[in-house]
Amino acid sequence: MISLNDYAALVGPEVIGQLHRLAERLGPRRFIHINSTRSGGGVAEILSRAVPLLQQLGLDTGWEVIHGDQDFFEVTKAFHNALQGFKVNLSPKMLNHYQEINRENARRFTWETDFVLVHDPQPAYLIEEMRARAKHWIWRCHIDVSRPNLQVWRFLRGIVSQYDASVFSMSQFAQNLPHPQYLIRPSIDPFSEKNRDLTPEEIQAVLARLGIDRDKPIILQVSRFDSFKDPVGVIQAFRLVRRHTPCKLVLAGGEATDDPEGPRIFAEVMEAANGEPDIQILLLPPDAHHEVNALQRAANIIVQKSTQEGFGLTVTEAMWKGKPVIGGAAGGIVLQLQDYNTGFLVHSPEGCAFRIRYLLHRPEMARRMGQLAREFVRQHFLITRHIRDYLTLVTLVDNPGSRIIEL
Amino acid sequence: MPKILDHAAENSFWFHECFLMPMPIGRKAVNLRELLEAIRYLDESVLYYHLIQSRLAPGPAAVEYPNDLAYWAANALQDSKLAEKLSSFDPFEYENMGEVRQAVGDILEEYLWDLPYIPWARSGFELHFCHASTVVIRSEISAQTLEELCLALGKVGLDSLYYHFFEARWRLGVRKADDFSFWIENNFDLPDLVRAIRDLDIYFYSLKEIRETLVGVINQYVGEICDQPE
Repeated sequence: MISLNDYAALVGPEVIGQLHRLAERLGPRRFIHINSTRSGGGVAEILSRAVPLLQQLGLDTGWEVIHGDQDFFEVTKAFHNALQGFKVNLSPKMLNHYQEINRENARRFTWETDFVLVHDPQPAYLIEEMRARAKHWIWRCHIDVSRPNLQVWRFLRGIVSQYDASVFSMSQFAQNLPHPQYLIRPSIDPFSEKNRDLTPEEIQAVLARLGIDRDKPIILQVSRFDSFKDPVGVIQAFRLVRRHTPCKLVLAGGEATDDPEGPRIFAEVMEAANGEPDIQILLLPPDAHHEVNALQRAANIIVQKSTQEGFGLTVTEAMWKGKPVIGGAAGGIVLQLQDYNTGFLVHSPEGCAFRIRYLLHRPEMARRMGQLAREFVRQHFLITRHIRDYLTLVTLVDNPGSRIIEL
Repeated sequence: MPKILDHAAENSFWFHECFLMPMPIGRKAVNLRELLEAIRYLDESVLYYHLIQSRLAPGPAAVEYPNDLAYWAANALQDSKLAEKLSSFDPFEYENMGEVRQAVGDILEEYLWDLPYIPWARSGFELHFCHASTVVIRSEISAQTLEELCLALGKVGLDSLYYHFFEARWRLGVRKADDFSFWIENNFDLPDLVRAIRDLDIYFYSLKEIRETLVGVINQYVGEICDQPE
């Protein structure tokens, strides 16, 4: 098991010392995290790493998962899509089912705690049934809710307004709510299977298995095949680059099964890549963390040409691997990539092609950019910073009304 | 000078750690006129965040602009002239945040007055307003002599530098005083060093540069007692 002290080699012992001091000042408090799945997806990934670390800090931290049937998850998937701006139709029957499943879970839970962090909309309604079982209720929203569907947001707002605080990943996701809203950036775990160091042999083994030759520089985009990740735009950019410079493109990711436009986009990607031997499309399962890690480490340039983005953790992962990254100017990518410094921001396939060529012809610049990117992630986007933010958050929620708290 | 180096302060200097939690307020500016309006009506804590506290938040690695507003003008509005004006603005020249708000508002209003158009942020670069809460704890690092102080400066996090230089100005109620010069003034007879620290252009520097500069000034006034931090 990874120990908190293992991170000291990466972030410095003083950072680990800070976590211990914050936890000590907080005293013996109980925390419960609640989400809707134990594995799969970004929230489960971060909780599976963060909960043991919080326990190592001496905090009584639990992780509960709500259970639901297929209909329940159909409703919450519709919530998710609606919060991201898609138009969905939710009948009163569906909303009732969402509430009933939460009630059933509430009857099953026996915990009492000081702080409960409820992740995303699926378990949000628990507060209606369980308010008295925790001193402080915090809603942690991981979704891009910058332009939510109004009907669904109205329904959720009625629930979320009962919480003592909410937490968003980007300032543009904040809403008009009657309680304090906080900003906690997502993070990556440098020791997870997706980010840990790999040997050249491990990387080569994955490439051999996936049938990728390293005979030309590799341009990589890792993302779901959905319209907001603009995979077709990446292929257009690649074709522009190929007129001048030999290279190959790897598009790796899963199908966007919960995106109504997913199948159409995937068909468009296949069509756009048709007849081009230097484009490889890889459909990977959601748990292909080792493969993604190896692909990122094998790539010469990593692209994330999103037109709409939550935070963009694939950018963070690529930066951590010391790669030069070209990203679409959207959401959290803007926060991470600074031109000529930690990466390049682009606004079009032409811009993406230009920056790919720029970096292919300037390997020294690409190397320096990768180093700066890794250092930027080390300082701001590793899980230790996330843990520190959680500790700071609960300290603040424990002292409502104070803007500066001296412990 | 060696006598000063041996001198132990009556009260140790305890370094504090400062954890900033940004709090988005759900409002944004997409153009310069909206920024001006926001500065006039939003709480002063929002301006305080974007002018001062945001240097503790994750931001681009090497930015020449000392505050969010100047950076936004340069990067989002792509208006270098306005960025120059906002980067030359120093909030520590004013007595309180009310005056700071008035001064920033005046800069923006005068700039807009002469423009035939409203500068707009490019898509994805809107300014989303925040304020912040902070948690402060005492670290385990303290200093009783100048040498210990100088050595400790290389060990503490940048959040400590922020706390003792920036937050101190409002806490001590003396615009030009920071915790370091305050402690030296009260424990050592080194008025030139105190003045040199208070003359540092801290608003201009990044936190990392402030650390290097402070160590440099101490070495300059009391002899080379510690190495420059890496």
